Formats: sequence, C-alpha cells, structure tokens
Amino acid sequence: MSTAFLETKHLRREFGALVAVDDVSVQVAEHSLHSIIGPNGAGKTTFFNLLSGTLAPTSGSVFFRGEDITSLPVYRTIHRGIGRSYQITNLFPTLSVFENVRLAVQATGRDNFRFLTPVTKFPDVLQRTSEVLEIVGLTDDAARPAGQLPHGDQRKLELGMILAPDPDVLLLDEPTAGMASNQVPELMELIASIRSQGSKTIVLVEHNMNVVMSVSDRITVMHQGQVLAEGTPGEIADDERVQEAYLGTLYDEEDS
Amino acid sequence: MTSFAPTRASLWSRYRLVAVALIAAVAFPFIVGLLSGQSPAAVLAGEAGNAKFLQGLAIEVFILALYALSYDLVLGVTGLLSFGHAMFFAVGAYASGIMLKSFGWPFWVTFIGVLVAAVVNALLFGLVLPRVKGIAFALVTLGLSSVFFIVVQSSELAKYTGADVGLQGAPVPEWIDTNVHRFRVYLITLAALTIAYLIYRAIVRAPTGAVLLANRENEERALSLGYNTFWFKLFALVVSSLTAGVAGFLWTVQQPIVTPQVAGLGWTVAALLMILIGGVGTLTGAIVGAAVFRLLEYYLERWFGGTAPVLVGASYIAIVLFLPYGIVGTWRARTVNRRQGLDRLRRLFGIRARRSQ
Repeated sequence: MSTAFLETKHLRREFGALVAVDDVSVQVAEHSLHSIIGPNGAGKTTFFNLLSGTLAPTSGSVFFRGEDITSLPVYRTIHRGIGRSYQITNLFPTLSVFENVRLAVQATGRDNFRFLTPVTKFPDVLQRTSEVLEIVGLTDDAARPAGQLPHGDQRKLELGMILAPDPDVLLLDEPTAGMASNQVPELMELIASIRSQGSKTIVLVEHNMNVVMSVSDRITVMHQGQVLAEGTPGEIADDERVQEAYLGTLYDEEDS
Repeated sequence: MTSFAPTRASLWSRYRLVAVALIAAVAFPFIVGLLSGQSPAAVLAGEAGNAKFLQGLAIEVFILALYALSYDLVLGVTGLLSFGHAMFFAVGAYASGIMLKSFGWPFWVTFIGVLVAAVVNALLFGLVLPRVKGIAFALVTLGLSSVFFIVVQSSELAKYTGADVGLQGAPVPEWIDTNVHRFRVYLITLAALTIAYLIYRAIVRAPTGAVLLANRENEERALSLGYNTFWFKLFALVVSSLTAGVAGFLWTVQQPIVTPQVAGLGWTVAALLMILIGGVGTLTGAIVGAAVFRLLEYYLERWFGGTAPVLVGASYIAIVLFLPYGIVGTWRARTVNRRQGLDRLRRLFGIRARRSQ
C-alpha cells in the first residue's frame, strides 16, 4: 500500500474564469521537508489554502494519513495535527506576544470553555507558551503587543504560533516573506533544526531558491496552477523546463 | 532565563476598585441625606427628599450600566457589531411585564421566564451568526429588532404590550416596590450590577474570554488556530442577552411604565454611546459611560431646558474628539492629547489642522 502521509489528488480550484490550482497531485512523505516553489501567481498560496481547509477545492481531494480531509473546516485541521502559517503576517495585533502564543497553545487543549477561571491558573499552557517563546527567541518581548514588533520578529512569532500546539505537519507559507536578508538565515536555521529533530513533516512554500535547494528533500515546481516538475533539489536544478519557465519568469518579474 | 507569565495579583489588589466603589455607593444615599438635613433613619425609611430622589436616578444608572455592560461584551470584547441590542433589553422588559400582568405569574417564576426568553432571543441572533459577518450582521440584527419594535407597538397586541402607549401597571410585590423600599431596590440593582461586572471581568480573564478577544482582533486567525469561533460568539450573545434581559426585568420592576422606546434603534444607540463615552471593551467604561450618559442628560435638561439636546450632542462630540478611547480607555493610556482633539475639531469644521501629527 503506497498511501502517502499527506497527499493531494487532482486538486483544482477556480476563481471565476481563473483556474488558480489545476489538477495538482502531490505526495508528501512523512518526516520529509517538501518545498513548493514557483513564480508569483503560480497558485502556491491557493494550494496551501486548499491543504489547510481555508478554501474548499472545486474538485479533487486531500488525504492525510489515508483519511479524506478535503471537507474538513480550517478550525479542525490543527486538531488533526496540521498547522499552517501565513505569508502575510496574521496575528492578534493588540494582544501581547505571550497571549498570541498562549492562544495557540490553548486552542488544542480542553479548557476553551472554562469561562470563570483565569488563564493564569492553567500552568501547563503557560509552561508550553514560555517554551515556545524560548524556541523562537521572543522571551524578552513577551509582554509587548504583537503589532508593535519589528517585521522579522513578527515572522518568528508566526512560526511560534504554529509550533505551539506541536503539530505533526507544518505548512509554512513563505516564512521569510518580507524579512531583511540578514535575518533570513536565522529563521531558516530554526526551520532546519526543527527538521533535523526528525519528528515533523514540513511543507514549505518559498521564493528564495538558495534556501529551498539547501534544505529540501523534495521540490515541487508549480507554474500557472499546474505542477511543472517534481524531484530532488538536484533533479530540479538540472531540469530544463524549470530553468526556462520558472527561473526565466522569476528574474523577469522579481528584478523589475 | 527570564520567563514571562501574567502574574496572579493579591486578593486586595484584584478587588480594590470594586470594594471602594461599593462602599462609596452604599454610603452615598446617607451622605446625601446628611447634607440635606435628613437622618440616616429617615433615608432608610425612604422618606421623600434629595436622598430618595438621587437613589432613584442612581437605580436608573445601575440598570443602564448593566445594559451597557452587556453591549460591551458583544461589541467591545467579541467584536460583533449588533444594531439590534435594544431587543435584548426590550425582551426582558416586555416579557417580565406581560408575565406579571397578563399571565399573572409570581415574581420569581417571571424572573426565570425572563431568563428563558433571553436565551431564546440570543439563539435567534445566533441563527444569523454563521450566515453574515461585519456590517451585514449589524443590518440583520437591526432588522430583527425593528420587527420586534413594530410588534410591541401593534394594536393587535395592545392587550399585552399596551401598544404605542406602553406597558403599564405590572404588579410588583410590595417588598421590591421602589416607592416604598427605595434603598432596598437601590441595593438590589447595585448588587446585580456588581455581580454582572465581576462575572464579566472573570470571563475576559478566562480562556473563553481570551478567545472572544482573539475573535475581535482577527477572526480568521482564531479559526486557523483551531477555534470554532461560532460557539464563542454564541456564548457571548447568550451571556449578553441574559444580562440585558435582567436589566430589562429590573427596569419593568421599578418603572411605572415600559414604553416602546426601549425596543427602538435609539435604545441601541444609547448602549453604543455609553460604551463609547466610557471606553469600548474596558467593561468599567460601560459603567462610567452609563453614569455620564444618564446624569448629563438629566442635569442638562434640568438646567437648560429646551436647549439641552444640543448641549448633550455637543458633549458627546467633545468626548469623541478629545477622548477617542473613552474615559476609562484614555485613563488607562494616561494620555490626553489636547492638540489632537483640537485638530479633529478644526477638521470637523473644514479648517485645516494646525500641524500634522
């Protein structure tokens, strides 16, 4: 039986006349780091929204551990062990950094409808929150409102919020988006260290080719909503279609 | 390693403000009595005078504060914009009047009946929740409450509601008759407000309240963290409706007449004004706002007669311009920016601001 850990079958999503994701079938192996790359508008974020249940596909399906999770609403996927981060910073801006992470920890617990006991009386949640802040290096900023953090730290917080409930699968949508280039290595090291612990499956959308090539086990290249190529970093680097279609348009668009 | 966690405050520091406010509120009628030459015994006996009158005004403030508090949970904490909030209050007020008068139910049975009606009302609003968001939710709730407004005024139901005249003569037991036992009713409404405030404060500090705040800040993210926000919003509506229903019940108990005004849009706007004045989402602001709202209205009317509405309006504009976070919100931030307020005032009249920033 060749059921992949996380798998999509003929996934398709239309927005009116536009086909944003067109017949995408991808298999992600357990404990691997699988990257999705492609030029702007290739459908990567839409693909992510379909994976995480934020959007429902027009047709096709998503399987996780052999179960069909296609119609699972977004608030259920994390309870199955799939966590998702956002390309655009998506936080609770006036709440403290601590509270942002604490909410992420609380979500998968059983105390959400304890409505008279203060949050300070749940030591396990507080403990885990402090741990996560330590991992992403935001302990000193715990009391600051999340909206006041510098962009790079907001990206770290974003990562912390999906690490908090300790999911099996991390869907990372351009974790380094908008970061100053000197901050990127720090965040990628963090991702690499999570990867090297070996207990997580990571699906990564990334623009930065160097980053993707060095860190990935497998790469899927998307172009105009379709899968253009898939393989190991070496195979992708040598693929002529990729160089032509992806790298060509990438430099056209990115350097303008 | 420094680890940050919200610290648990001591019992005294947690309840200091509430304790001081309570002591002041209980002492208030007697101080007024002494100042106007009435003995404490006379105040207790409910003899006519300044103390009795001001207690009557304070009872209205307490009930309005309860109502404003219930709106703050929905709008200020959960971030749900409802334009039908008056219905939460009016259902309580009318249900208790009808149950007492037309059905002849005993007082406590009526009270339970009001709680049931309030929950049903919240579930009705809850039906709308998953279907519309933001401004559409505001309009649909406005529609719901407008229907209720029309229904209570319809002549077909005049036997129950008193139509456009209002519901009069609901029999209230003697022990809670505000004309006889003014100080007792004063204490009961004060206690209701205090209990509601303490419960609300506990909710906001508890896991459930944290999710309500998260919903206000960024519902999409709350969903992706794994919260089915629907249940949390429904929870807020039910608690709010229960509170406003009790406020309506107390209103009927101590008012000779319940007019359709309490079901109208104006009553929802009143709730909005009270929390804007006090500070949206602060809870204490709802209480401060209710006091300012009612006292401003009353005293400006008394001192200036016909020009009062203009002055009331001007005061509200001044508060919004100079205290954009409300009285409590501004107090917490410890900043009053007079220049920014003046600039906003100038812009209101089309004059360019003196300086940017």
